Amino acid sequence: MYAQAFFVAVFGLAAIGFGVVVFRTSSMVRSALALLFSQTAVGCMFLAMQTEFLGVLQIMMMATEMSIMAIFMVMFMMDPGGMGGMDMTHQKRFSIGAGVVAAGVAIVVAFWADWGPVTAEAPDAAMQTRALGMELLGRSMLIFETAGITILTAMIAATAVAIPVQTTANSADKEDTE
Amino acid sequence: MNLAVVLVALLGSVWLLAVIEGWTTTGRLRLTATLLSGLAYLGRESIVPRTPDRIFFETAPVLLLIVAVLGAAVLPLAPTLVIADLATGALFINAALAYVLVALIMAGWGPNGAYAMIGGWRFLGQLIAYAMLIVMPITAVAMRAESLVTTVIVVSQDGLWNIVYQPLGFVLFFIAAMALAFRAPFDLPTAPGELGGGVDAEYTGVRLAVLRLARLTLVITLASATTVFYLGGWHGPLLPPWAWSLIKTLAVAVSMLLAGRYLPRIREADLMRWCWILGIPLALLNIIVVGLLVLVVP
Repeated sequence: MYAQAFFVAVFGLAAIGFGVVVFRTSSMVRSALALLFSQTAVGCMFLAMQTEFLGVLQIMMMATEMSIMAIFMVMFMMDPGGMGGMDMTHQKRFSIGAGVVAAGVAIVVAFWADWGPVTAEAPDAAMQTRALGMELLGRSMLIFETAGITILTAMIAATAVAIPVQTTANSADKEDTE
Repeated sequence: MNLAVVLVALLGSVWLLAVIEGWTTTGRLRLTATLLSGLAYLGRESIVPRTPDRIFFETAPVLLLIVAVLGAAVLPLAPTLVIADLATGALFINAALAYVLVALIMAGWGPNGAYAMIGGWRFLGQLIAYAMLIVMPITAVAMRAESLVTTVIVVSQDGLWNIVYQPLGFVLFFIAAMALAFRAPFDLPTAPGELGGGVDAEYTGVRLAVLRLARLTLVITLASATTVFYLGGWHGPLLPPWAWSLIKTLAVAVSMLLAGRYLPRIREADLMRWCWILGIPLALLNIIVVGLLVLVVP
């Protein structure tokens, strides 16, 4: 029990630490990968809390997602390496205020909410995976399917927007490059 | 105990693979040559390029090695010879190997070199191509076993290996595994002769030694995964279970090497096109066929 609490705390602090690095660095790749390791630490917290499937899933999904985010940040930011000395932050006072208020609300909710009785023993990992599968294909199916279709629609729309309109000028360009 | 045995088996396999690689390249079978060249790396100067991202530069080779070993940790050599028999083993190996991408992006970005950086980002494109072809065939394997536990997956192949039960899944997984291990013809991140070594380009000395060791370990881990998921794992006559696992793993690893030697390097755009237009529909077909077989055949 104490060991479990210890590891949850260690990974929790690691998650916060990497989260701070995200905003302390000017390098976009460092920032993206710090966010990745912050999320990985959250995945490790799941593992420490004996929710194996969720933990492994979190650790797996974030690796790809954050890497893809890294290349988008490199593509679209003006100083991706952070070596140009550019200040890429803005609305500092407002964001500090918003951050402090949000953190305060989260802490208050964490202490005041009725979390119910602590589970004495977590079901074994295989049972958890099964229960999660049943949940996803039962009660929560509509929510997840809706989310899935929404993401798919966004992906198709983004791809459609990214395909260049064929005009005489750029079809000539295409022939040149090929 | 299991940990020590599996690590020794992993190291031994890596050494044998390196010897065989040397044999196919030079035509001479030299058992000590790889060890000597490994030692030579340790003696050479390990140069740090100008204005590197030091954390990424130092972490990348070690991270690649760690994820390759972590992937191997859930793969059984024998019914009880596995480091961690996780309830989510088949998912865990995906999670571990997802960090190959992170390591390569770090190795690409870290040294502050153009070739390395192109190599690193290229692998991101490569992942978009192969990722689904790793996950979807494993889904079909887990469907037959009705479990994500790797030992249960091997037991489910008693009598009929998955290579026969779902050959389409095997072919797709084998190709995707080669792309994940960035072996020829999918060696786009390193691309010798075109990118000057790519992610390897700026590494020298002991750091390059770790990077090379990690790459070979990754091949063995993926060959072992192919064995566990498709070739019946430890099943086989006469010999002890661990021996069958090792023989099959090495055979898969060598076949990956040989396939690479006789095929030209594929273009990034072609890889993406073939994986998405042909590979993913075939992987979905594989899932449907296996689903029907699981439901219909007792």
